Formats: sequence, C-alpha cells, structure tokens
Amino acid sequence: MSSPEDEKPHLPSPSLWPLGFAVGIACLLAGLVVSLPAAAVGALLAIVFGFLWIRDVTRGVDTAPAHVEPESRAPLQPTGAEAAGTSGGAMPVMEDEEVAAYPRSTFLSAATLGLGAAIGGVITVPVLGFAVLPSFTNQHEPNVELGPLDEFPEGKFVIATYLENPEIGEVSRRTVFVRNNGRLEDQPSFTVLFSRCVHLGCPVQPNGPVEEDNAKEVGEQNVRLIPAQPSGFGCPCHGGQYDTEGNRTAGPPVRALDRADFSIREGKLFLGGFYSVSEVRGTGARARIKKYGHAVPGVHVDGPSAWLYPIEVPG
Amino acid sequence: MAVAARKKSARRAQLESVALYPIDWLEERSGLVGGVKYFLFRKVPRDIGWFHTLGSATLTAFIVQAITGVVLAMYYKPDPNSAYQSIQHITNDVTLGWLVRGMHRWGASVFIILMFFHMARVFLFGAYKYPRELNWIIGVLLLVLGMAEGFTGYLLPWDQTAYWATVVGINLNGTAPFLGPFLAQFLQGGDAIGSDTLSKFYSLHMLVVPGAIMGLIALHLYLVIRLGVTPSPWAKEAEDEGRAAGRTAGGRAGLVRPGRRGGRSGE
Amino acid sequence: MASRRIVERREAHKRYKENTERTGKPFFPHAMFHDTVMSLVVVGVITALAVIWYYDADGTEAGILGPHYTEEADPGTTDFIPRPDWYFYFLFYLLRIFKWPESVVLGTVGIPTIGLVLLLALPFLDLRRERRLSRRPVAIVALILTVVAMGTLTYKGATAREALGSQLVEAVPEWAERQGFEGNEAALAGGELFAATGCAQCHIYLGVGSVNLGAPELTAIGAGNRGVQYFKDYVANPQQFGNPVMPRYGEEFGGSLNDEQLTQIATFLDASKGEEE
Repeated sequence: MSSPEDEKPHLPSPSLWPLGFAVGIACLLAGLVVSLPAAAVGALLAIVFGFLWIRDVTRGVDTAPAHVEPESRAPLQPTGAEAAGTSGGAMPVMEDEEVAAYPRSTFLSAATLGLGAAIGGVITVPVLGFAVLPSFTNQHEPNVELGPLDEFPEGKFVIATYLENPEIGEVSRRTVFVRNNGRLEDQPSFTVLFSRCVHLGCPVQPNGPVEEDNAKEVGEQNVRLIPAQPSGFGCPCHGGQYDTEGNRTAGPPVRALDRADFSIREGKLFLGGFYSVSEVRGTGARARIKKYGHAVPGVHVDGPSAWLYPIEVPG
Repeated sequence: MAVAARKKSARRAQLESVALYPIDWLEERSGLVGGVKYFLFRKVPRDIGWFHTLGSATLTAFIVQAITGVVLAMYYKPDPNSAYQSIQHITNDVTLGWLVRGMHRWGASVFIILMFFHMARVFLFGAYKYPRELNWIIGVLLLVLGMAEGFTGYLLPWDQTAYWATVVGINLNGTAPFLGPFLAQFLQGGDAIGSDTLSKFYSLHMLVVPGAIMGLIALHLYLVIRLGVTPSPWAKEAEDEGRAAGRTAGGRAGLVRPGRRGGRSGE
Repeated sequence: MASRRIVERREAHKRYKENTERTGKPFFPHAMFHDTVMSLVVVGVITALAVIWYYDADGTEAGILGPHYTEEADPGTTDFIPRPDWYFYFLFYLLRIFKWPESVVLGTVGIPTIGLVLLLALPFLDLRRERRLSRRPVAIVALILTVVAMGTLTYKGATAREALGSQLVEAVPEWAERQGFEGNEAALAGGELFAATGCAQCHIYLGVGSVNLGAPELTAIGAGNRGVQYFKDYVANPQQFGNPVMPRYGEEFGGSLNDEQLTQIATFLDASKGEEE
C-alpha cells in the first residue's frame, strides 16, 4: 500500500471509490429534481462509495512510520515489557509494531458512537416531527356560511354559534357576536367579534338581554342565530370587561376582542379566519383597527410588551 | 436468615428447607431476594414516627391512581364525540364503575395534598440538606409532574368544566415570553382545542407523565435507601450535629451563631 | 484537597450511618407498620370520598362534593363559569389579582416560575447543617408565610363568585321578596334586565356579584328617594353625572337598552331600598 521509505509522504493508491462517490452525489442531486427513486439510488451509491473511500484513505495510516509520537495513555518503551498491566485505561496495551496515531479501538469507539447517534436520529427525529409539527401545519382556513343578510338587522347584535369544521363535529363549535353596521360607501359593513376572552380564553358573556325565544337555526353548518342586546361584554373568569366594539374597558384582557374576516356571496354572510386587534378607534362601520395575525390569548400584539412575543406562530 | 439459634427437630428443619427452596433458587440466580431482605431489614433511626409515613402514603395514593386509571382506560373512549358518553357509561352503567371513577378522581386530590404535606415535612425536618439535595430536586420534579398529571387528566371527561379549565390552562402556558405561544399551539394540536387535543392529553396522561413519575419515584426510593432516613429534628442526633456545625462553621453559621462566651446560641 | 466544611459533613454522614446501624431499629416491622396503617387510612379516605360523592350527587346535579359531571363540553357557550381543579385555585386567584394588562404575564408565569426556581434551588440556598427547629428561624417563618399565602389564595379562589346572567335571572323573585317589590311588574322586569345585562359584574346586589372599577353596592340605592327619572338618566348616560368608567346603556347614547327597558331598570333600582327586616 504505502511506500516502504519513511521520508516519502503517504499517498493513497489510485482507486475508483472517489469516482463512484461523485457519481452517487451527482445522481442524488439530479434525482432530487427529476425523479426521487433516482435520488435514492444516488444517495445509496454516495454512502457506499464514500465509506469505501474513507476506509481506503485511513487504512494506510495504520502502518505509519515510527517517528509518530506514541500516545501518552499507553506508555510504550522500545522494550515494551513493563507496559503490560500498567495502562489501566480504556486503551489496550499495544505491541511495538502497532504504535499508531489512529488505533483500531479508537475507530471502533468513534464508529459505535457515530452509528448510535445516527440510529438515534433516524428514530427520534421523524417521531418528534410527528409529535410536534402537525400542530403547526395544515391548519384549515374556515369558510362558514352564517345565513342570509336578512337575518342580521342593521345596528343590532346577533349571537351566531356554528361548527367551524362539521366533519369533526361539536368540538369545532365556535361563537361570534355579529353586528350589521349598515353600509359604508355602498359596501356592507359587519363587526364580527370572537367570543373568547383575550386574557385567557374564557367564554365571554353578552351584557344584555338575550332573546332566546327568537333563536333561529340556519343552513348547513349547524348555525344558530340568537338576537341579543348587549351593552358590552364581560368575562366570568377574572373580571374582564369589553365595550360593544370589543375594546377592553376593565380587567386583565391585554387587547381588544379578536375579530373574524367576513365576505358576502349571493346575499349570504360568510366567515373567514380569525385575527387579532390591539385597539379599535371609532365605532361601527367607521371603526379603525390594526390587524395582526391571530394570537394566543394573553399575548400583547403591540406596545412594549409585544417584544416578549417576537415570533409569530405558524399555522 | 437471621433466625435466633434454637433447637429444632430434624423434621422441622427439613420442612423449612423445602419451603425455602424456591426462594434460595431465585436468590442464587438473581440476587433479588437479598435485595428485598436488605430493604426490609435495614436499620432506620429509632426516633422516626408518624411524620415519616407521609412519603409512603403518597406512594400508596399514586398506586391507587395507577390501578384505577388502568381499569378506567378499559372503558374510556378518548374521542371528543364519545368521551363524555363513555364517562356517563362508566359512572352509571358499568358495575362499580362509579367507585373506580370516584376513587380515581378523589385519589388525585389526595395524591396532590399528600405531596404538599410530605414536602412540608421534609422541609421542616431539614431533610433536604447534604447529602439529600438530589432527592429534594427529584421530589420537586415529582410535584410538578403530579400537577401536570392532574392538569392533563382534568380534560378527559370532556364536560364543560374540563374543557374550559383546559382552555385557560393552555393559554396560561401561552403567555410565557418567546416560546409560550408555540407551547400553547403544540398542546392544543392547532390554533384552538380540537380533536387532536384530547388524544394528546390522553397520551400524556397515560403514558408520558406516569412513565416519568415512575422512573423518578424509583430513583427517589433508591436514594432514600442509600442515604438513609433523616432522624427527627428533635432527636439528640440533630442537636449534636447542630452544635458541631455551629462550632466549625464560624462565619458561615448563618443567622444564628454561637456567642463568644461559648455554647450560648444567640437568637 | 476538600475544604474543611466538606470533610466535616462527610464525616458527619458517616457517623450518622454508623450510629443508625448500631442503635437503629429494623425497618420491618417497626417503621413499616406505621407506613401500612397510614396507607390504610389513605385508601380509606379515598374510598369514603368516592362513596360520598357518588351517593350525594346525581348526574349534573351537584351534591356536597360536586356533580358527577357537568354538561358536555360546548366550545361555543356563552353562559358557563370556568373553574380549575381546587389545587390550582391559588393560581386562579393570583390571576384575578393581576388586573392590569401589562402585569398579566407576572401572574401567569412570573410568580409560579420564581416559586419553582426557589423550590429547586433550596438545598443550595440553605447550606447550614443545622436541623433543630428552634435554630432555623428563617425556614420556619418562610414555611408559615408560604402556607398562609397559599391557603389564603386557595380559599379566596374557592369563594370567588361570579354573577352569571342566566342564574341571576332566576333569583329575581327572591330579590322582589326581600326588597318588597313583588307586585311591581316594571320592577320585576327591570330586575331581570339588571341580571341579564351583567350589572352584577361590577356591582354587588343583595350579596351577589363582584366589585369592579370601584362600582358601589346597589342593594339600597333607592333608599335616597332620587326617583325613577334620575336612575333612568343615569343608566342611559352615566358620564353626564361625572362617572367616567360606567358604560352608556341608553340607545341614543350608543348602548342597547330602549326607553321601556331603561324605565324598567330605573323602577327596579328605585324600588331597591334595602332589605326589610
């Protein structure tokens, strides 16, 4: 393998392994674009040839010339007789000829740990991904039909409870407080407030008479519309209070009530996703709000405390 | 066996050796019997009393929870559309289901109360000091895990109380700076409590947290056996130890140090 | 070379071990007997609680230890009062104390985290070997303060009452009896409006409700004989009377109560002259 003279630098002998490795990498990269099976084949080639190449390169080192300093853990004298039994460490006592910079046991330890880490990774990473990632991906954008516009008299609140995702059933039931603001520049305007308190998520109650007798069931998504006359909203958990625009008037809520996007198609009101609002200025159709992504209750969306929550959660 | 030397008839000795044969067989092949005997007959300080029973009482409460929990799991259905009905079924229809469910529900409260009492007792007796610091830390972790067990289990009946207490609890976690909202979304399985939330809480309540609790309990007990039971603080030994500590601690004697006239501890 | 302190305590532990070996008693049966009795008590208590709970309650009707279960979870409800399990009441009440929005994160995670860190770090904060109670004043005081604080917070959390609109409406006939306005139709209607509009979320009335934003108790508000018109104007637009925090309930001021409803509420308030003895 290596040159018998000590002065010559160690050179690996020519071999085909690097070529095979290169072909494998090329196959892998091309396959990622063109065809995944090819990428798999390329990866396999790269791994196999890469392993053979590395093994080839490091093999020659075993018989390196004697001018390499022996390892201090295994004290080796040219006679070597008294080294036996005194090393005591993890390294086995070595014979004279095996003075090496890279003994086999070190390679075995490193390979065992490396392979163990790789196996651990192959098992753990997909499992952890499975446990954690689905909460953040594939979140549906809801599209709920709340009923014809006639059901929402102008200037009055209607409590609308509906199933956001009828396929999964009652667990997706949500409630919003809907107010028809009339028209603004010939466009219909609605205020849709989410019923969950933005302090810690408790169900907010309308402060006013609720006309249960005039409740109506509408449409497909198990929608129930109940007229009400709230003068504000209050939370039964920790004393939060809101006005009819959703602004906080008392208690620990950290921002105004969340709102929902809406659209009108074929004379019917549709709800989209929720979003968060820091404060509402003005009332009704002329209310001015600053829209933020839908945030967890208790999280400030603006102001100095918003620096505590710099990263928006995906999904 | 530490049997008092006595005259035995040969017949009796023969009977004894037959009875002991399986135990000796097991001991020779595993060493377990020796371990059990060590645990049972180790020496504990003379003066320990009823205060020292709080730890094993907590363990008993946990075992009650584990057993009743396993039985409940045979009838409970962890899906939002059938969880509530399965709880009604267990409470009303299943033979003695009400008893098992009631014991599990009240056992949880008893478990948590006993943990607090046990913690207070350990604190009072100074049993968290050297060399038992690690045991104290394990105990605090057990307390946190016990409360997490209570939190995850509270959702399972899927009634109004369960649902809304969990909404608030998850959002409480969500208010933690930086990572809070991610933790809340992870626990919920989405941006609001959904069908995945119940399954996740069930998995945590049945497998993850009890597994961690059992592992830590094993470590906790091992340390108690290894390090010994702390004597009461009113035992003579505590007094000797305290005086010795006061003498040598010098500047590190804390608030109370021996006076210059020797022996008189100032208040 | 270990410090003198470390050497000392190692030797102290060694002495303890030898001492116990010499003068201690075997765990079985002496200490184990106590453990077994205590375990029996624990199992007995758990079973007794379960039995009492089951036989005293009936489905969603609460007994002395609560109901078997409440209604099935309704994520869209607007008339439920959430509560955690009792061992979280201290945290629940802590959240009601921190009402200022900027301080919310202190109550939710700040204080519990600090508490947990102190608990975990305890063996490293208290390095003295002293275990006699009479020589550990800081420990004793800390324990008493903690127990009192947690106990008070838990008790306050347990007794925190909310005024749920639908429940209060059922109490109006009782109010009428106590206040003496049974025959007054307008006052009865006004009482129901008072309950449904959430007035009890800020005002106390006949022992129910909460205090919020400094709102006064209204049990005897009518005793001053200010008249129905006064209350009607006040409730419609409190800002007119110098009240900056109460919302305006009058329709013409942006609220939702019409003239008839305002009259009914005003009649109710005027009839609330304090309980007849």
